[in-house]
Amino acid sequence: MDLLKSIAVAASGLRGQAGRMRVIAENLANADSTPDRAGVDPYRRKIVTFQGRLDRELDAQVVELGRVERDRGAFRTKLDPGHPAADAAGQVRMPNVNSLIESMDMREAQRSYEANLNVISSTRRMLQRTIDILRA
Amino acid sequence: MTTSSFAAGAYASMQGIGGGGLLKKPASTGLAGGAATGMPDFSSLLGKALDSTTQAARAADVQTASVAAGRSDIVDVVTAVAESEAAIETLVAVRDRVIAAYEEIMRMPV
Repeated sequence: MDLLKSIAVAASGLRGQAGRMRVIAENLANADSTPDRAGVDPYRRKIVTFQGRLDRELDAQVVELGRVERDRGAFRTKLDPGHPAADAAGQVRMPNVNSLIESMDMREAQRSYEANLNVISSTRRMLQRTIDILRA
Repeated sequence: MTTSSFAAGAYASMQGIGGGGLLKKPASTGLAGGAATGMPDFSSLLGKALDSTTQAARAADVQTASVAAGRSDIVDVVTAVAESEAAIETLVAVRDRVIAAYEEIMRMPV
């Protein structure tokens, strides 16, 4: 039934956004993760990818989390000569996580999650109203 | 009254539900298909419909239990519960319809 299919598709969207939220949480939590010695890379920001997949059982296009890629952008540097990971010039490489970007990503994930929740609740209402016809 | 034709329609579409889950396309929900030969008797039909509903309810229970145990995703519970809810409510509504039609027939002065 199409209504139940749309609930299942929206549920896949919820799952995808939940995975995105997890990656954002990892990025934010590791925003200050530096190695304990020089020459080792600090935490590299993760980027989620989504991909559509045709679910044969549902006969509908669902979304799922693709590979989690690494952000190849440059690391931030901070002058901190006393740090164990500081190089000869006293610079410490910090993770390439920008908390402002992560906040915006988080907001986007939240909005997208809510949109999928709305699809589920609308679909349930439609289903309910249809069954009510039978009842009246 | 239209009650009996309603009930017949509900009866026919319940056969589709009983045949295999709500997610499948109903095989033949028309009145013509229901009135044709080879129609199962009421008890086996009810049994099949109950089976599929019980299956949906059981799936919802399994999901709820596995979330409580911390093994599963809450989204799976929501979809399983929504599906079983739809199945149960449809079954209950159809049952009410069929019983109403039965009562209508029993009230008929003979």
